[in-house]
Amino acid sequence: MAELRAAVSGDSAQTPVVVAGGDRDSRFARRMIIVGATILSVVALVAVFAPLLSPWGETEIDPANTLVAPGGNHLLGTDGNGMDIWSRVLYAARLDLGIALAAVALAVVVGTLLGLVAGYFGGWLDDVLMRVVDIFQSFPTFILALAVAALLGNGTINLIITIAAVNAPAYARLVRAEVRSLRELPFVDAAITSGASPVGVLWRHLLPNSLTPVRVIAPLNCGWAMLTLAGLSFLGLGVSIPEAEWGAMISLGAADVVGGRWWTSVPPGLALFVCVLGFSLLGEGLQDRANAKRR
Amino acid sequence: MRIFRFVVRRLLQLIPVLLGVVVLAFLLVRVLPGDPVRSILGQNATEEDAAAARARFGLDQSLWQQFLDYLRGLVTGDFGTSIQSGNSVGSEMALRVGPTLELVVIAVSIALVVATVLGIWSAKRANRVGDHSVRMFALVGNSIPEFWLGLVLVLVGYSILGWFPAPNGRVDPDTNLTPLTGADLVDAVLTANGPAIASAAAYLVLPVLTLVVGVVAPLLRSVRASALEVLHSESYAAAKAHGLRDRTLHYGYLLRATLVRLPSLAALVFGTAIGSTVLVEYVYSWQGFGQWALRGLLYRDYPVVQASVLVIALCYVLVFLIADVVHAILDPRVRL
Repeated sequence: MAELRAAVSGDSAQTPVVVAGGDRDSRFARRMIIVGATILSVVALVAVFAPLLSPWGETEIDPANTLVAPGGNHLLGTDGNGMDIWSRVLYAARLDLGIALAAVALAVVVGTLLGLVAGYFGGWLDDVLMRVVDIFQSFPTFILALAVAALLGNGTINLIITIAAVNAPAYARLVRAEVRSLRELPFVDAAITSGASPVGVLWRHLLPNSLTPVRVIAPLNCGWAMLTLAGLSFLGLGVSIPEAEWGAMISLGAADVVGGRWWTSVPPGLALFVCVLGFSLLGEGLQDRANAKRR
Repeated sequence: MRIFRFVVRRLLQLIPVLLGVVVLAFLLVRVLPGDPVRSILGQNATEEDAAAARARFGLDQSLWQQFLDYLRGLVTGDFGTSIQSGNSVGSEMALRVGPTLELVVIAVSIALVVATVLGIWSAKRANRVGDHSVRMFALVGNSIPEFWLGLVLVLVGYSILGWFPAPNGRVDPDTNLTPLTGADLVDAVLTANGPAIASAAAYLVLPVLTLVVGVVAPLLRSVRASALEVLHSESYAAAKAHGLRDRTLHYGYLLRATLVRLPSLAALVFGTAIGSTVLVEYVYSWQGFGQWALRGLLYRDYPVVQASVLVIALCYVLVFLIADVVHAILDPRVRL
């Protein structure tokens, strides 16, 4: 579903919407940015200081107390392995935030480079690059994930590569479109006539200017990346137990839900939801602000 | 005529993409660790048994030969034979597409109505409290992990309230439903099986609700944005300045112009949903297309994986084409 969100928002990104409304509008946008940034700061702090905030270790087992309800020694209870839910929810912020940020960073770098080259040089190079992008974009995420893991071995790095591979095409398209319209502007001709090399034009003139839409999409993208990661882990294709990751924890607790034991899967999902909401608020606020500027 | 030329050009562009997907899927399933025949033979099978099974599925031939055979089959519409079940992949897939389509069609239809009504309502109150709440709702729908939402709905709807059946299938087996299309509600209506209709409907509620929340958010944002665009357009201002009645303004000017982009968006949502319902199917044991593809992947059932990848990719590229064409037909300003 993350791809769907990406596809649909990409569609509306192509046609900037003129939003009216003066102060009230920008105040709402500012409020969204502040709330989103606050949520994300808290999550980042939790990730850094997880050992200080958790009474139990990340994978520490309390064998006498498996699947106990919240209260007593375990603030949010324990899972079927006797691991403390509260501590693991805190620790999981490290992997989830880390993998999502790294994957989006990689996607931005690779996608931007591809888009710059395709948009600037055009011709057959553009055709070939964009068809490769098409193939990657139409390939199902979870099959790509398993294949990358099989090729490179299981691990954090490969999850980053997989999620980056799913997201890079959107940036390639965005930057390519931006470069193609920028190329027509007089200042690029001026740079070329004054003797700038193609690399110089790309690096000094086109790159900084084409990054504007990327900056707006990237925070939203971090949220989707996190949902993709958790979804993969939920299906058993991403991070696996005993490592602490929200999607894997939800998956472990899924069977308990039918019996009414909510504490194994509800808290990690809530943490994931709040964190993604932080990215969404930040991204939406930035988008509002960018639209207002364009007007 | 221009549209025709555009469609032909885009279809030609699809050929290398789909060929790339076919090659990539073919190679990728074969580099995955694990042996597809080992998983059907069991532990006591000898090396000879395994070799015989491999020969039966043509897996003993060179990679080139296997690929050519596969391509030859594809051209004639033959997806091959499932290693796990021994059935034709095409007919197995046909049985699995029905349940997923049923889920997606109902959810997308509900989402479209909700998005249209709420989106326009919200745009008319731009930057007031009502508008802000609708936008927050869309943000929440965009951020909620749907597999988790599914679990929460099971917890509330089944474990606590007991209003809905357990997440263990699509219809109560005691109703003796004869499968026709695979979409159980349709089958129940066609066979006039009263208890099965009630059961299938009850099983549908929670997964549909889960899917709607995820699907409605992007639609809602888009409708609101288009409606705002129309409300601030000069033609709308002119119509309003002429003193047209509110009803005429609402239905003739606002609704019509806003909905121009919706069909193409619906196609997009629909096409991508086929491949991405796997998480929701997994939570509710829906046994649809997504779970079938996942199972094929986990058991290294090469033909099943290849077929599902191809179908998902085909849906994906086709809906983008359909979206563009529909948009161009509805909006004469679009140049192809």
